[in-house]
Amino acid sequence: MGNNKSFSGGRRYSNDDITVYWKPSACIHATYCFRELIEVFDPGRRPWVDMKAAPTDRIIEVVNMCPTDALTWKWNDNEKNKDVPQDQTNHVRFRRPELLDDEIAVNEVRPVVVKVMVDGPIVINGTFDFDNDGTRKEVKDSLISVCRCGASSKMPFCDGHHRKIGFTG
Amino acid sequence: MENKEDNKPATVVEVVDQGPLGIKGSFILKDLKRGSESKPGEVWLCRCGKSKNKPFCDDSHKKND
Repeated sequence: MGNNKSFSGGRRYSNDDITVYWKPSACIHATYCFRELIEVFDPGRRPWVDMKAAPTDRIIEVVNMCPTDALTWKWNDNEKNKDVPQDQTNHVRFRRPELLDDEIAVNEVRPVVVKVMVDGPIVINGTFDFDNDGTRKEVKDSLISVCRCGASSKMPFCDGHHRKIGFTG
Repeated sequence: MENKEDNKPATVVEVVDQGPLGIKGSFILKDLKRGSESKPGEVWLCRCGKSKNKPFCDDSHKKND
């Protein structure tokens, strides 16, 4: 989750090594991607690309089978994109060179935003460590809503009780 | 953007038992009620609803025990 993003050039999906770009308008439904690797490319799933479901080299192999530029890929390490062999047919260098300059979101740290809602909860959005009842877990690119009125039945989370008690503050 | 590699989490949110919500590290605090925005580095936000210094904790929760 959290590694697929809409951007001006379609959609992009990343793992630690590579980013796969999807340009829906270019898809001619040759179906190589899901016939070869349904674990990663599953049209019936949302998001339909799961970059964690296969090794990077296998994903590259299948993306290279796409007959159009509907699926292209590049290394997240831009140095490695400078010298790409011709047989990597669907590397963005050969299909969508404009994407060589696309800043990859993989290691992008979006700031955590803490919103104190009007007469409502604290909404925290982003990637952060969440320590609750002595157990710590990572919340990744998601949000939590923490009760601020003291009346929730789902502590520490907001359950909408602030409205019933007329909380202000 | 580059120094994400160290293992220290950039932001930690801690629910204090019978107490406030502590938030430490890198984050933006937007108080929509009071219309303020800041990057405080560390805050303790009221969870009991009784603080006189909202959204921050002022230890009012202890008076309730």
